[in-house]
Order: sequence, then C-alpha cells, then structure tokens
Amino acid sequence: MTSHTARERILWTIAILVVVFYALLPVLWILSLSLKDPATIADGHFLPQDWSFENYEKLFETDAFTYALRNSIGIAAIATLIAIFLGSMTAYAIARLQFPGKGLILAGALAVAMFPPISIVGSLFDLWRQIGFFDTWIGLIIPYMTFTLPLAIYILSAFFREIPWELEQAAQIDGATPWQAYRKVIVPLAAPGVFTAAILTFIFAWNDFLFANTLTSTDKARTVPATLAFFTGGSQFEDPTGVIAAAAVVVTIPIIIMVLIFQRRIVAGLTAGAVKG
Amino acid sequence: MAAQPAATPAPVAQKGGRKRLTERARAERKLAYMLCAPAVLAMLVVTGYPIAYAIYLSTQRYDLRFPDDREFVGLSNYGEVLTSSTWWLDLTNTVIIMGFSVAIELVLGMAIALIMHRAIWGRGPVRASILIPYGIVTVVAAFAWRYAFDPTTGFVIGLGPISETWAPLAERASSFFVIIMTEVWKTTPFMALLLLAGLALVPDELNEAAKVDGASTVQRFFRITLPLMKPAIVVALLFRALDAFRIFDSVFILTAGANDTETVSILGYNQLINRVNLGLGSAVSVLIFACVIIIAFVFIKGLGASTSQEDDR
Amino acid sequence: MGKVAITIGVAVVSILLGSGCGGDDSGGSRTLKWYVFAEPSGAFQEAADNCTKQANGRYRVEIVDLPTNADQQRELVVRRLAAEDSDIDIIGMDVIWTAEFAEAEWINEVTGANRQRAERGVLPGPLETAKYKGRLWTVPFTSNTQLLWYRKDLVKQVPKTWDEMIDQAERLNTTIQVQAARYEGLVVWFNSLVASAGGEIVDDAGKPVLGAPAVQAAEVMKRLASSSAAPPAMTNNKEDQARLGFESGASAFQVNYSFVYASAKTGAETNPATKKIFENMGWARWPSVDPGKPSRVTLGGINLGVGAFSKNPDLAQEAALCIAQPDNQVIAAEKGGLAPSNEALYQDKRIKKAFPFADLLGESIATGVPRPVTPAYSDISLAIQQTLHPPQDIEPKKTIEDLKDNIDTVSNGGIF
Repeated sequence: MTSHTARERILWTIAILVVVFYALLPVLWILSLSLKDPATIADGHFLPQDWSFENYEKLFETDAFTYALRNSIGIAAIATLIAIFLGSMTAYAIARLQFPGKGLILAGALAVAMFPPISIVGSLFDLWRQIGFFDTWIGLIIPYMTFTLPLAIYILSAFFREIPWELEQAAQIDGATPWQAYRKVIVPLAAPGVFTAAILTFIFAWNDFLFANTLTSTDKARTVPATLAFFTGGSQFEDPTGVIAAAAVVVTIPIIIMVLIFQRRIVAGLTAGAVKG
Repeated sequence: MAAQPAATPAPVAQKGGRKRLTERARAERKLAYMLCAPAVLAMLVVTGYPIAYAIYLSTQRYDLRFPDDREFVGLSNYGEVLTSSTWWLDLTNTVIIMGFSVAIELVLGMAIALIMHRAIWGRGPVRASILIPYGIVTVVAAFAWRYAFDPTTGFVIGLGPISETWAPLAERASSFFVIIMTEVWKTTPFMALLLLAGLALVPDELNEAAKVDGASTVQRFFRITLPLMKPAIVVALLFRALDAFRIFDSVFILTAGANDTETVSILGYNQLINRVNLGLGSAVSVLIFACVIIIAFVFIKGLGASTSQEDDR
Repeated sequence: MGKVAITIGVAVVSILLGSGCGGDDSGGSRTLKWYVFAEPSGAFQEAADNCTKQANGRYRVEIVDLPTNADQQRELVVRRLAAEDSDIDIIGMDVIWTAEFAEAEWINEVTGANRQRAERGVLPGPLETAKYKGRLWTVPFTSNTQLLWYRKDLVKQVPKTWDEMIDQAERLNTTIQVQAARYEGLVVWFNSLVASAGGEIVDDAGKPVLGAPAVQAAEVMKRLASSSAAPPAMTNNKEDQARLGFESGASAFQVNYSFVYASAKTGAETNPATKKIFENMGWARWPSVDPGKPSRVTLGGINLGVGAFSKNPDLAQEAALCIAQPDNQVIAAEKGGLAPSNEALYQDKRIKKAFPFADLLGESIATGVPRPVTPAYSDISLAIQQTLHPPQDIEPKKTIEDLKDNIDTVSNGGIF
C-alpha cells in the first residue's frame, strides 16, 4: 500500500525476529551442546565455554551411527519412491479422469494417514517375526506405506488438479505425438508437484520412530531416530548427552538445508494438500 | 456435487450418440480403477490386515514369555484394560496433552499465519524459519528440550528467576508443560501453514469495505476473518487433534511416561514390547484405534469438517 | 530387458531383506556372537579375545554391542529372542532376566559337567541369580552391589541404619544420593530395604508377600524423600546423577555401585575439586533398616546364557564357561571395576588392589539377595516403579497394600 511508518516497520521487525528466534532456539541449543567439551557438558550454559569437536569424533568412532544413516536414507528413499510411483498413478486418475469413488479414495487415504501406528505395531511385530521380515529394510518400508502413500496421493492430486491438461491436446494438435506431448508438456508441469511430494514424503519417512524402534534390533535396519534413543555412554551408567547432540545435528543439518532451499515448494505442497486454495 | 475437473477434452463430434459416450466413459473408469488399484490395495493391505490381526490377537491370552499358555479368551482382555485405572489415567493424560497442544497451536499458528500474511517485509525469513521445526526429526526436538530442562546440563534451569534446583521432568505438571511445549514447538508451523491457506481465502475487499465502514482491526478479525476461515480452522483442528492423540515420540524421549504422564500409545508400547504380552497389548491397540475413529467422527459430523478437495462452497 | 529386470529385482530384494549383516563361517572356524552391553574399558573384549585364543581355532568370540541402559538391553534382546533370532549365541544377561528367559525357553539349561564347572567356587548370592526352579540356566560371571559412600572429612560417625543416616544428613545440612527415578534402580532400592528388614517381595511361587518389612521399607523411602536430606532432583536421579551429586560435593552420602570409586579416581587426576572429594571418600556397608540386623543388598551383575536358537549351542556353552573363568573375572575387575562372582578372588591381591574395599564388597555380595525370581519380573518391576514413585507420595501401609494388589494383578497377566 502506501508508505509504512517507522513504527510499523519496527513492530513487524520485532514480530519477525520473535518468530525466527522461536523456530531456531532448540536447533541452536542442540548445536551448542554438541560443540561443548564433554567435561563442561553439565555447566548449564547456553553457549559452550569450551569448544570441541570431541563429540563428533566419538560419534563416528564406531560404525553404529554410519549404519543408522545408511539405513535411514535408504529406507526413506525407497519408501518415498514407491509412494510417489503408486501415488502419482492414483493422483493422475483422480485429477484427470471421471469415475465414481474419487471422494472415497481421498477420504480413505486420509483415514489411513490418521491411523495410530501403535495399533498395528503389535501385529506387525508378530507377523514379521513369523515370516522373517523382522529387522529388515522391507520390514520397515511396508508399514511406512501407511503414511507415505496417503500423503503422496493427497499432495499429488492437489498439484495435478492445477495442471492445464488442455496444453497436451494443444501440443498434439500442433503436430506432436502423444508421447512427445506428454514428455515435453506434461512432465515439466507435473515435475514440481512430484518433487514437492517427494520431499515432504521423505521428511515424513525420515522422522519415524515407533516403527523403527519396534521392528528392528540391529544396525542392519535400525534408522537414526531409533539409534539416537539407544546410544551408549561412557560407563555403564553415564548419559551420552554430547554424542546424542552431535548425532542430532548430523541428522538435522541436511534436512534444514533441504528445507531452506525448497521452502517455497514445501509451503505450496502443504497448503495445497489440505485446503483447496 | 463433484466439480468437473478440466480434464477430458470435449468430444468433437458425437458419432453414434450416447452409446459411444458411455463406452468412452466406461473405458475411462476402467483406466482409472487400474491406476488407483495398486495404491488402494497397498493401503488396504498395510492397514487392514494388521488391524484385523490385532483384533484377532486381542481375543487371545498370548504372552511370549509363557509360550505354552496361549488360549482364546474372548473379550476378557478388553475387560481387563477397561477396568484398569492405568488405561483411564493414560486416556486422561492423552486428552490433556491433546487439548492443550491443539489450543495453543491454534492461537500461535494463527498469529504466525497473520504475520506471514500481512507482514510488510520479511515473509521469506519467517517462512523459512518456521519450516525448520517441521523438518526436524521429532526425536531430535524431544532430546533438545529434554536437555534444555535437565537440571545438570540444561540452560533453562537457573535462568533468571527460575530456581537452580527445579527438575521439571521429575514432576507431573511441569512434565506436561515440557511435553506440550515440545509438541507445540514442533507442529505449530504446520498449523500456521494450514491457517495461512485459509487466510488466503478471505477476500481483501471485505476487509477494505469494513475498514471504510469504520470497523477496528479486532472487530474485522473476529467478525469477518475468523468466520470465513471456519472450514480451514476445523480441518486444521481435525488433523492436529488426531495427530496429537497418537503422540508417542516426544513422551517416550522426555519422560517415557513417568510422573503419571503416560499416554495411551506408551501404554500400548509397554504391553506389546516390554511385556511382550501381545494379547493385552493388541486390546489396547484396538481401543486406541476406536478412540481415533470417535474423534474423527465428532469432527466430521459434529463440527462439519470437510476434507474433500472438491468442496465448492 | 527381462534379464536386466530380474537381476535388478534380485538385487533389490536382497537389499530389502537386509544389508550388512555380520560375518558367518570363515573356513571351518565358527563365529560365536556374544551380545552384551558395550563395556567401555574393554575388559569384555579382552575376555572374548582370550577365549578365542583358548579355542585354538574351533571358534571365535565376537562381541555385539547392546545399549548401556539395562531396560533397553532387555527390550532389544527380548525382541530378538521372541523373533527366534539364530544370530544370538551368548547373551550377557542382567541377573534379573534368568527366570523370564528360562520360562520362555529362550536360553538353554546348563546341565551335567557344564553345571558343575559353572557352579564351582561361586558365591551363594550370585549363584542364586543364575538358577530358576532349582535348575541352572546361566553361568555366573560378574556381580555388583551397592555400598554406602561418604565424606570422611564431614562425617565423623558412620551411620549404621537409614534412620541414623537421615538424621545425620539433616543435622549436617547435606543430602543423601539415592536412585529414586522411576526405573529399575528404584526397585533395587526397595528390594534392598525389604530384604534388610527381613522380608521378601514375592515367595517361591511368585505370589506377593510384602507385609510388615515392606511397610518399613516404604517408611524409609518416604522419610528420605520428604526430608531436607533429599537431593533436589531425587525423584529423577539414576546412578550417574547420584555419582555427580556426590562428586560435585553437594552430597556427603551416596548409595551406589563401585564404579563411583573408579570415576572419582579418574576425575581426581585432572580436577582439583574432585581430588579433594576423592581423597575424602570413605566406604561402609549399606545401611541397615533394623538396628543390629545387618543389611542385605540387591545383587546386580552379568550372567552368561546361551541363546536357544543358536546354531552352535554346545560351542557357545563352552565359550560361556571360558569367558566366565576367574582370570577373566580379574580383568573385568581391574579394568572395568566389575566385582567378581568367584569367592576365592576376593582374597586375590589383584582384586584387593583394584578395590580397596574388596573385603566389604565380597561380604555384601556373599549375603546379597536377588530381585524377585519369577518370569513376570519385568511386570513386577514396572508395578513397583509405578506404585512407589514418587516416593514422597507414599503412604506406607496403603501403598504397600496397593502394591500387593498390583503385583497380584500383573503376575496373572493383567494390568492394574
């Protein structure tokens, strides 16, 4: 609108700073903890008095954490791929085709997403131990479908809805083959949506704790959140605060970078999926 | 009525009349079902089968530590759970956490949404920073808050007027406080984004007109903005309420249910994994599932939450 | 195209079914996996290496790390045994798991000549923890129990009973470090108090007894928790917080395991404040409940069990007996500060050098008591934790009655 008074600017600046501080506080804290020299871990200060990378060294002394990272990345990636693959087919149908039951599928997807994981963890444990899926990648990827698939379907259908499909027709009229039309027109239009859905789904899968905790038991398949909760300390009775903080940082920084780079897409994805707007 | 998506190109000429259309429509349906089938099947199998199996297990007395004692006991596991004071305590705890978190998130989320909507500068930094709690692994956030409030390592203890010897995670009320704070910190961004989308639906002209008519900011907010946002608010509340009811990660890391802060998910976990009592644990699981259905029902029927993407109100 | 797809498919499936598993046979020599918590000093690793050498090529002992927290250890091991995992050959079992694992048929019984070897020279307390229903299920390895540690410079008259100690602490304006968080350590405390009062928590059939001694125990817990001698975060304190509280000088008393001595000694080398504490660190027997009746403390420690689904059960049993032999127990004591289960070792000068308090420790362990020996132990432990926490809310008579009901319920497989 018109020029804003200095007072307005200051107020908004304060508001912005408050929000940013609120969002970053725990992150800065865990970063600070991880950089504290282990002897000073109990000093109760926010910033480290003695800086040291010892916690990070200890973290990578054993292979446990590296394996956990490998498991987390691999399992989340595969779960995401499967969800995007199956989800985009469904989303395409919902966005482009006419058929009864659309609402039912979307509502059903929502219902599945809202499913309490604790309700199936017991049966999965019993089932997996009988068929041998316990402590395997596929043993986690399958339950991950309960939230990756509905999420993918929801976000993708919302995105696909916005694609002007007539462009495909127009390209064909202009002389392109169906395949060319698809590749050069539709794919670039759909790509952002697919990409966003992939990011959001990956973050979700990366975050899981309950399934990873109960359905795995070794570094064959245990992901980072579950490993964090079971870290070892200095003696039989010591709490490995510094090392856990270091692990937390290692796990968080890539996500933060990814989130910052793709923030526009993520916001678009989250809002498109829930409310038509 | 379902809104027609701008998808199928209009037939150029209707050769053969209605029969042709129907054939085409049929082919379309067939394609649609084929495309949807894998995902739908996957979802059914992944949730349907385990929950059915859980119901089956819940009718057995089945404890892996006494493998020879397995037998069918009908509904007695449910009776056991529903008459135990632990179940009702945990249910209360879960509702307390759910209620407070969602309420606080609504207010904070609305504030952040308004800031993002109306800020004269800095929308970028705000949007970027609020996504950070969203992207962080819940377990990591829980650890951060746990260490912050720990009497020996934490920076909160001893800060300003806070007593040096306070141990928040050792008492019930303060444990709830930390748990709720962790939850709120983590999921307010999601709430804010949902509300922001709803805010975007409120036409600016209405606000302008009201301003011209002399309405104050507060009046405009409560009389125009909020009512128009009702559908978005209800949907956001539904999502968050269901999510909050299933809370597990934060409580597990912060207190593991100590100080009477145990939630129903932790109860289920203890029975299933700690005691490997699959019969009792499955009964708890099924009851939790029933509760979630009830909550969803209340929201959808009672408050009119509409999650359909084809809402053309 | 088809072949490529199949190859990819096979690769994918094999990745999905598990990547990076441990090694198996290396040409004739078997690898036996020993699942035990990650002992930081390397004593267990040395024991494992010794036994690999002694095996002369017939087998190799490889350690697989478990978390340091006992509850988490149990959770992981139980989950895998319930899944009938054949990878588990030898288990470093917390002494409280014996009955549970035996009843669930997750470990193999130790019989015949093996049993004789395992039982030879073992102190009665630790041996009890390795048995269930009269049969031997594990090989006793290390033991552990708590002593009373106090500041020699502040405490002139060492208290003999809990009441005396609380009185003194109140007078001296100091605090007593215990483990009163809602976890296994709380049960250890309660168990020791009940045993010292001459009672027991459950009988041989696993049914709750409790009674007057339990009420006495509850009274002690409540008294400490409500007095000025209670440390600030007492109801959240575990072994390490207790150690820190004593080492920082805030408390003049603590009941804790022997690791606190080694920890203070190491800390004294770099930190002058800790040095002062360490030089004035005194030890005494765990306080009694009844004056005149010596205390009986709860035993901890590690026994070695053989996984029932192991592919090499006989070799595993042999390896377990090897690991548990006295020489390895000495290493565990010297490097890791873990008390032996072998009686004669307490006269050994290496042990006396590692533990200046060896006599006292040996005495305490010899008369030590197990925690309730029943397969439902973890349920009972949870019941005790939930009923007795926080200790300041205890109403001795009523709480013990509730506890009796609760233990009854859970031992029948219910929830209360």
